[in-house]
Amino acid sequence: MAVVQGWKNWYPGRLGYVDFVFGLDNLRNDGRGCEDYRSLDLETDVVSNSSGSSRVRLANTDILVGVKAELGEPAADKPSEGRIEFFVDCSANAAPEFEGRGGEDLALAISNTLAQSYDNVSSLDKRKLCVIPGHQCWVLYVDILLLECGGNLFDAASVAVKAALFNTKIPNLDVTKNEKGEPSLELRDDPFDCMRVDVAAAPCLVTLNKIGYHHVVDATREEESCTLARLIMGVTADGNVVTLKTEKSGSLDPESVFEMMQTGKRVGISLNNTLSAKLKQEETMAPKKGKKAFLR
Amino acid sequence: MLKSKVFMLKTKKGSIMKIVREHYLRDDIWCGFLACELCSHDDEKQLPVLELSPPTSSNLCPGSHYLIPDTNVLLHQIDVIEDKSVTNVIILQTVLQEVRHRSAPCYKRIKDCIDDPGKHFYVFVNEFHKDTYVERLPGESSNDRNDRAIRISVMWYGKHLALSDDSLRVVLLTDDVANREQAKQNGIHAFSMKDYVKSLGNASDLIDKLSTDENKVIDGKPLYPEHLPLSQIQEGIKNGKYMQGTFQASRENYLEAYVNIRDEEHQVFIQGHDYVNRAIQDDLVAIEMLPEDEWTCPSSWVLEDEEEKGDEEDIKEDEIVRTSTGKKSKIPSGRVVGIIKRNWRQYCGMLQKSVLKGSNRHLFVAAERRIPKIRIETRQADVLDGQRIVVVIDSWPRTSRYPQGHFVRKLGNIGDKDTENEVLLLEHDVPHSSFSGAVLKCLPSLPWIITDDDLTHRVDVRHLPICSVDPPGCTDIDDALHCIELSNGNYQVGVHIADVSHFIRPGTAIDKEAANRGTTVYLIDKRIDMVPELLSSNLCSLRSEEDRFAFTVIWEMTKDAKILSTLFHKSIIRSKAALTYAEAQLRIDDKSMKDDVTEGLRRLNSLAKILKKIRIRNGALTLASQEVRFHIDSETHDPIDVQTKELRETNSMVEEFMLLANISVAEKILDEFPDCALLRRHPAPPASNFEPLIRVAETRGFKIDVSCGKALADSLDAANIQENPYFNTMLRILTTRCMMQAVYFCSGMCAKSDFPHYGLATPIYTHFTSPIRRYSDVIVHRLLAVAISADATYPELLDKHRSQSICNNLNYRHRMAQYAGRASVVLHTQIFFKNRILDEQGYVLFVRKNALQVLIPKYGLEGTVYLMDANQQTMFTYNEEESTQTCGDVSLHMFDPVTVQISIDSTNIQHQKLCMKLIKPVIPNFSVNPCQNITEDQPPNKKLKN
Repeated sequence: MAVVQGWKNWYPGRLGYVDFVFGLDNLRNDGRGCEDYRSLDLETDVVSNSSGSSRVRLANTDILVGVKAELGEPAADKPSEGRIEFFVDCSANAAPEFEGRGGEDLALAISNTLAQSYDNVSSLDKRKLCVIPGHQCWVLYVDILLLECGGNLFDAASVAVKAALFNTKIPNLDVTKNEKGEPSLELRDDPFDCMRVDVAAAPCLVTLNKIGYHHVVDATREEESCTLARLIMGVTADGNVVTLKTEKSGSLDPESVFEMMQTGKRVGISLNNTLSAKLKQEETMAPKKGKKAFLR
Repeated sequence: MLKSKVFMLKTKKGSIMKIVREHYLRDDIWCGFLACELCSHDDEKQLPVLELSPPTSSNLCPGSHYLIPDTNVLLHQIDVIEDKSVTNVIILQTVLQEVRHRSAPCYKRIKDCIDDPGKHFYVFVNEFHKDTYVERLPGESSNDRNDRAIRISVMWYGKHLALSDDSLRVVLLTDDVANREQAKQNGIHAFSMKDYVKSLGNASDLIDKLSTDENKVIDGKPLYPEHLPLSQIQEGIKNGKYMQGTFQASRENYLEAYVNIRDEEHQVFIQGHDYVNRAIQDDLVAIEMLPEDEWTCPSSWVLEDEEEKGDEEDIKEDEIVRTSTGKKSKIPSGRVVGIIKRNWRQYCGMLQKSVLKGSNRHLFVAAERRIPKIRIETRQADVLDGQRIVVVIDSWPRTSRYPQGHFVRKLGNIGDKDTENEVLLLEHDVPHSSFSGAVLKCLPSLPWIITDDDLTHRVDVRHLPICSVDPPGCTDIDDALHCIELSNGNYQVGVHIADVSHFIRPGTAIDKEAANRGTTVYLIDKRIDMVPELLSSNLCSLRSEEDRFAFTVIWEMTKDAKILSTLFHKSIIRSKAALTYAEAQLRIDDKSMKDDVTEGLRRLNSLAKILKKIRIRNGALTLASQEVRFHIDSETHDPIDVQTKELRETNSMVEEFMLLANISVAEKILDEFPDCALLRRHPAPPASNFEPLIRVAETRGFKIDVSCGKALADSLDAANIQENPYFNTMLRILTTRCMMQAVYFCSGMCAKSDFPHYGLATPIYTHFTSPIRRYSDVIVHRLLAVAISADATYPELLDKHRSQSICNNLNYRHRMAQYAGRASVVLHTQIFFKNRILDEQGYVLFVRKNALQVLIPKYGLEGTVYLMDANQQTMFTYNEEESTQTCGDVSLHMFDPVTVQISIDSTNIQHQKLCMKLIKPVIPNFSVNPCQNITEDQPPNKKLKN
C-alpha cells in the first residue's frame, strides 16, 4: 500500500466508482491509494483579530478555524488547568442540508470528538493555561467554520485546529499580589510578549471508512456515501490513540477494527509529523506580504 | 498601503482584548515647506506654514533651521514654545497625540500655537506618511517606538529638505539624553531645550520660562514622605485601603486641608506638613485614614506662611498645630499617600525677593491663599519686583520645602487697578478677551429696524404703560413691567424680558461664545459682558422710548394676587420709562403723580407685598449678605467712599415679579419638556451644616429649629436682642454660610424629589428674566419659545446629556463670577483703606484660637484681629466650649460689639493686608488708642515704590 506522500499526490480520477473500485492495485476512483490524502492547502494567521487562526482546504473541503483566548474561571474539578472549548458552525453555504438547524448534529459530533481528543494530558498540557489556580485561567475558544464540504470533515477540522493552536499567541500576564494577598493581573506593554501553545502532542483525527472489504482514509463525498461504517481515531505524533469512535449504521468485526486501527495509527503519525514540519516551515518563511486566504 | 496595528487591552472588567485597527499609509502628505517640489501641495489652502528661510539667532545651530520638539519638551516647556520668539516649529503627529493623551490643557495651548499664523507651526502627520511610519519591533516599548518614529521623521525631513534647499536643516529638541545620543548617531542635530534656548541671542526672558529639570536631584535630606507609585495607589483604592478625592486647602491655615472623597458626601481632614505631603489645591489625591485615636480637628489657628524658610530648617509648625489641638469633637482625619492627578494651573501672584543678594532663586507668593509659595529661578528679579506675575509649578521634590516653578509672564505693577483686575479675572478663570471676529459677524447690522414679518409673529404691546426698574447706571436692562386694571376689576400684570434668543441663534459663533462665558461678570469698576455690547447695552436692552423685542409673561390676577391665568408670547414693547429703584420709589410715594406708569407701579407694589407675604408664609428664607457700593472718584477711578446697599420697597417689588415669572416659566417648560427642561434647584442643606449656627445661637439663649425651611425662617425671626440690633443680621449671615449652592440642572438628569428650591421654598424654579447676562436664561427662552410654537427646536436643545453639560459649565462660571465679584470688592476695599486709618464699630463674628473675626457692617467688611504677638504669646485665655477669649476681667464672645481700628498693613509692601486692631473694649497693653479718622493728604492713587 502506498504511504502518505505529503500533499502532492493528486491523481485526477477517471474511473467510475460504482462500476469498479479498488480493482487495480487498490487504486481509488481519483487514482489515490487507500492511505493517501488529497492535496491540502494550509495557511495560518488569517484572521488578525483572533489569537490564532488557520484555514485548511482539502480538495473541496474548506475550513476556517479561529482561536480566541479569554480569561475565565477554571473548572471546579481541575482548578489548576485552563480550558479549551470547541464550537463548530456549519455554514449553509457549505451544503444545502445545513440550512436552518440541519448541520447541528454534525457540528456536535465534530466538536465532541475534538473535545474528547483534547481532553487528555498527553494531547495538550492545559496546566500552562492556568493563571491563578482556582481563580483565573485562559480559556481557548476554538471556532470551527465549515465553509465547504468535500468529504472528510473530521480530519480536515482537526488539522485546521492543530494549526490554529500552533499559531495562537496568548499575552503574558504578570500576577501581582497586594498586601491582603489578593492577586491581580497586569498586562505587559509589549504586544509581542506572548506565550505559545505547545501543540507537539496535539492529536489529529484520522477517519477510516470501511468500503466493501477495504478501508480508506480521506474519503471524498462520494466515498463517504458508500461507507457503511467508519472509525474515527485521534492519534498523536507518538502514536497514542486518544479517541476512538465508530460511526454510521454498519457493523465492524473485531479483526477489521484492529486492522483499521493499525492503519489509522500509521497514517496519524505520518499526518502529525508532516503537519508539524510544514507549520514550522511556514513560520520561518519571510513575513507574508499580505494574507492569501481570502484574496486568491 | 494598508497596515494593521495590533495591541492588547485590559478592560475594566478585567478581560483582555486583542484590538486590531486598520492603518492606511499615504504618499500625498505635504512636508509643509512652501518651495518643496517633491510633495504635492495646494499653496492657497494650506496656511499657515513654515517660512521659507526662518530667522535664527542661535549660535549652536547657525543657519536657517526648523525645530522639531519631542513630547516631553512640549509638555514641560510649553511656556517657552508659546513665546512669540519661537517660530517655525514642526509638530509631529506622534508628539501631538502623546501630548493630547497626557495633558489636555497643554494640548489646547499647542493647538492655539498651531492656529496662530504668526508662529509658523506645521503639523506633520508622520504616522500616515509612507516613509515615516514605523512599526513597533518585538521587545520595544511604546515610548521607544515613539522616540524612534520621531527620529525617523527628523531624518526624513533632513534628507527631504536638502533636496529643495541644502542650506536648510532640522533640529530635534529633546531633553532625553539617551534619545539625543541615538539621534546624533543617526546624524541628526539634537539639542536639549535648555542648551538651545541659552544659545539664542538676548533670550533672558526665555531662560526664565524654562521649566526646571524635574529629575534634578536637590541635595539635602528628604522633608516629606515619599508618594506611593500610581499602581500601588490604584491597587489600594480598589481594595478600600486608600480613598481618592480632591484636595481642598484651608484658606485660614496653610497646614490644614480637607479632602472631598469622590462619590461620597463626607470630607476627610488633613493636618500638618507630613500628612498634607505636597498636595496642592484641587489635586486629585489618594489618602489613607488614620486610626481613630489619631484623629484631630481644625486647630482654630489662623496661620500664614510668612517668612522664607530654608529647606534645612525643620518644619516646626506641625508640632504647634498638633499639640494645640484640643479635646473637642475629633473628626475623621487622614493623610495623603500619593497624588493621582495634579491639577496645577497658572498662578498669579508676586515675587518675594530672596534675602540673599544676587541670588537667582526667589519665592513666589500666589494671590490665591490656598496655594503654597513657589520657588522660581529668574535673573530679572529687580524688574519683576513690584509686579504681578504669572508662574507655573514644575515639580515638588521631596527635598524641597517649596514647589519648584518657573516664570511665565508679567501682568503689570502691583496696585495698578488694571493689573489687579486682570489678576482677578485670570484667577477666577473668567474668559475676558474681546469678542472674536466670528462672534461680531453674528451681530445684526445697524440701523436695526422692525420688519413687517416681525410684526406678524409678535404681539404689539407698544401701547401698554411699561417701565423698567433697575439699579442706577444700569445699561443692560433685561426686564420691564406693567400692570393695568381690567374692566372686570382684576389686574393684568406683564413681565417683559429682552428677547435675546432672537439675536443669538443656536450653533452660531456668538452662541458658542455666550455658552462658554455663561454669565456676565460684574466687577466694581468693570463689566465683562457675556454678549457683545451692541446687544447687551443696545438692541436687547429695554431702553425707554425705543421699540424692542421682548418675551412677555402676562398674568391675570385678582387684587389679592391670586393668579387666574398665565400667558406667554413674544412681543414688541416700548418702555415708557427706565427708572432706578429710587426714582420708582419716589414716584410711588409722590401722591401727586397720577400717570399710567406710576399707577401701574403702585398696583405692582401692592401685589408684590401680598406675594412676598405668601412666600414667607411658605417658608422662604430671608438671608443676609453684605452688599456694598463704592463711590468711585470720576477721575482717578479710585473708591472715595463705601456704603452698604440700601434696600427699598421697589427692589423687593421687582424681585417678586421676577420670581413669579421664573416659576411660571419653569412650570411651563417642565410640563412641555419633562426630560430636558433647564431648571435651577437649591438642595436643602444637611442638618450637620447648621451645627455651628445652632451652637452659637444657644450661647445667647436662642433655639434655632432647622427641621424645615419654614421652621428655620421662624426661629430666625424670633432671635432678636434688644441692645444688639445687628445680632439678627449676623445670625442671618451665619445662616447663609450654612447653605448649599443653588445649581442649574437638566430635569431629565435628576430625581424629581431633588427639584425644589430650598431658599425660595418653591417646588420648581428656573432663570428666565436675565437673558442678557445669563446663558441659562437664553436656553430657557428657547425652550419656552418652542413650547409656545414661536420658534423651531434643534437637536441639542432636547439632548439631556448636552443640557446637563451646559448646566455644569454654567454652574462653574456662575460660581467663579461670584467669587470674582467678591474679590473685586475686597480689592476696592483695600484701595479705599490705602491711605486711611479709620475707627469703626464692628461685631465679633467668630472667636478663633488666636484671633477674632470681626465684621464691620458699615463696609460689609470682614477682618481678623490677631490676639497673639509674633512669638505666639497671648494675654488671652481661650475657652473652646463657649467660644470666648478672656483677658483679665474682659471676655469677648461671639456677636459682641467691638470698636476696631482699620488700616492697611504695609510693613511688607508687596503683600498688603487689611489690618485690624482692637480699640474697645479697652484691654491694657493690647488695645490701641482711638485715632481721629485721618485721611492722609496724599493723592490716593499714588504708585507704590519699592
